[in-house]
Amino acid sequence: MNDQVLIDKAKAGLGDRAVEIANPAPRRIFIRVKVDDLLEAVGWLKNEAGFTHLATISGVDLGQSFELLYHFANNFTCVTIRTEIPRDHPRLPSICSVIPGAILYERELQDMFGIVVQDIPDGRPLVLPDDWPAGNYPLRKDWKYERPPEVIPGGKK
Amino acid sequence: MKFQIPIGPQHPALKEPISLRMTVEGEIIREADIRLGYNHRGLEKLAEQRTWIQNIYLTERICGICSHSHTTCYVQGVEKLMELEPPKRGLYIRTLVAELERIHSHLLWLGVAGHEAGFDSFFMYTWRDREIVMDILEIISGNRVHYGINTIGGVRRDLDDGQVKHILDSLEILRKRSEYYKNLGTTEPSFVARLAGVGYLSKEDAIALCAVGPTLRASGVPMDVRKDDPYAVYGEIPFEVCTADTCDVLGRTVVRIQELFQCYNIIEYLLKNLPAGPVAVRAPRRAKPNEVVSRYEAPRGENIHYIKSNGTDKPERLKVRAPTLGNYAATIKMLKNGFIADVPLIFAAIDPCICCAERAVSLVDVRTGQEKIISMNALKQLSLKISAGKVRKREAEWPL
Repeated sequence: MNDQVLIDKAKAGLGDRAVEIANPAPRRIFIRVKVDDLLEAVGWLKNEAGFTHLATISGVDLGQSFELLYHFANNFTCVTIRTEIPRDHPRLPSICSVIPGAILYERELQDMFGIVVQDIPDGRPLVLPDDWPAGNYPLRKDWKYERPPEVIPGGKK
Repeated sequence: MKFQIPIGPQHPALKEPISLRMTVEGEIIREADIRLGYNHRGLEKLAEQRTWIQNIYLTERICGICSHSHTTCYVQGVEKLMELEPPKRGLYIRTLVAELERIHSHLLWLGVAGHEAGFDSFFMYTWRDREIVMDILEIISGNRVHYGINTIGGVRRDLDDGQVKHILDSLEILRKRSEYYKNLGTTEPSFVARLAGVGYLSKEDAIALCAVGPTLRASGVPMDVRKDDPYAVYGEIPFEVCTADTCDVLGRTVVRIQELFQCYNIIEYLLKNLPAGPVAVRAPRRAKPNEVVSRYEAPRGENIHYIKSNGTDKPERLKVRAPTLGNYAATIKMLKNGFIADVPLIFAAIDPCICCAERAVSLVDVRTGQEKIISMNALKQLSLKISAGKVRKREAEWPL
């Protein structure tokens, strides 16, 4: 299966739901979908196109919105489904019902971007410590780390 | 009556300290839970503040064993962003280091597997031979762990004829010894019996839970980025994807041993067909706004970097997914319905080196609330004791 076959298949299978299909390099296909169509697109990719392996989910802070990239791979090519969600209302459906292996990546998104993943089977923090202050999402562009001033016990004031 | 056993999270030898909480019924694990993040270094955030060149050395320090994997994955992505075409010789040397790294990682893993199974002479032999590979890497790059050989547009050091001859000579020794270990490991019934049937992961589960690398291939799924999505010069090198269909730790051992022999063949091919010419081209300081998905087959499995540039000399976003993270979901599945005594072996089998040395395990008795701390050594003793009393699984055959 080469890229063009898959692109034609995606156009036929996804129809209007695929807002944009790009093929910038060999074996790299980017499909943009609306967030409401995400589950359907992932389901189509898994069941109809045979992409069972989710490599990872990348999140990008675009300023006004968050972009999510679901990287899928099989033996022939690598497909990325991208979607955008507004920054002031960051809600995302969980794809764990389709791809159970997505759980760790979704939990990471919740931690690092403060995205609320709806219907996630297990929504506990993954990478941030238990005593991490609420509302701090490190991978947002406006988040800056400030090292707390070092206090030496018994040292000079 | 159910007990909860926490394992972890701290250990100096671990790259990724991890906390495991297992609910057990008697000796059988019913539930397993993983808690990560004890060594989260905020590297993705840090990468956004460093230049393209500085980030090579940052990504190199993601992992101590597959340091070359991360730099190669990063560098080949950045080369696409900068529209650079590295010279052939540079790519050959890059691939050579990658395969040497795979050998040293697999030999290390074989030793750990032998150690966890109570076969310590195997551990000492394989680690002795790992030194040969480490020496080759030191001769090529000057370093044993962080080779620092990749740069944007090629590699930083060239090979001379003496080095090529040295590598080929060492390869002969490695081949001979690996052959010996293959026979030793395959004809030792207690070793095979200890590994067979432990940590079962069916093909369906391996696919559903998105496992990667030897863990996935040992469940009979022939997925290898080197074959599926050829990067560097893998498109022109003849090699095979090794799989096993036993779906257990034995299968994972078989896959890694077979991959060792493939690595030797690849290295021989690379050295005998090494093209002449420069090893690197000059790279610009900035990259145009673009994005790239870069994949790489690390010794432990698929490594993926997503890189987005914004026209400056720093990346807009660098997302890194190391192979071990991809295997955690599958590990939980493997641990379920297994024995406590098999935990070290199952965990070692995905190669996170999580239980290589002393590791405190506290056993909490739910009935009395009493806590008992036992060391990993004691746990290993328990494992040996349990397997010693058992009838040997004579019918378990080495599938090589």
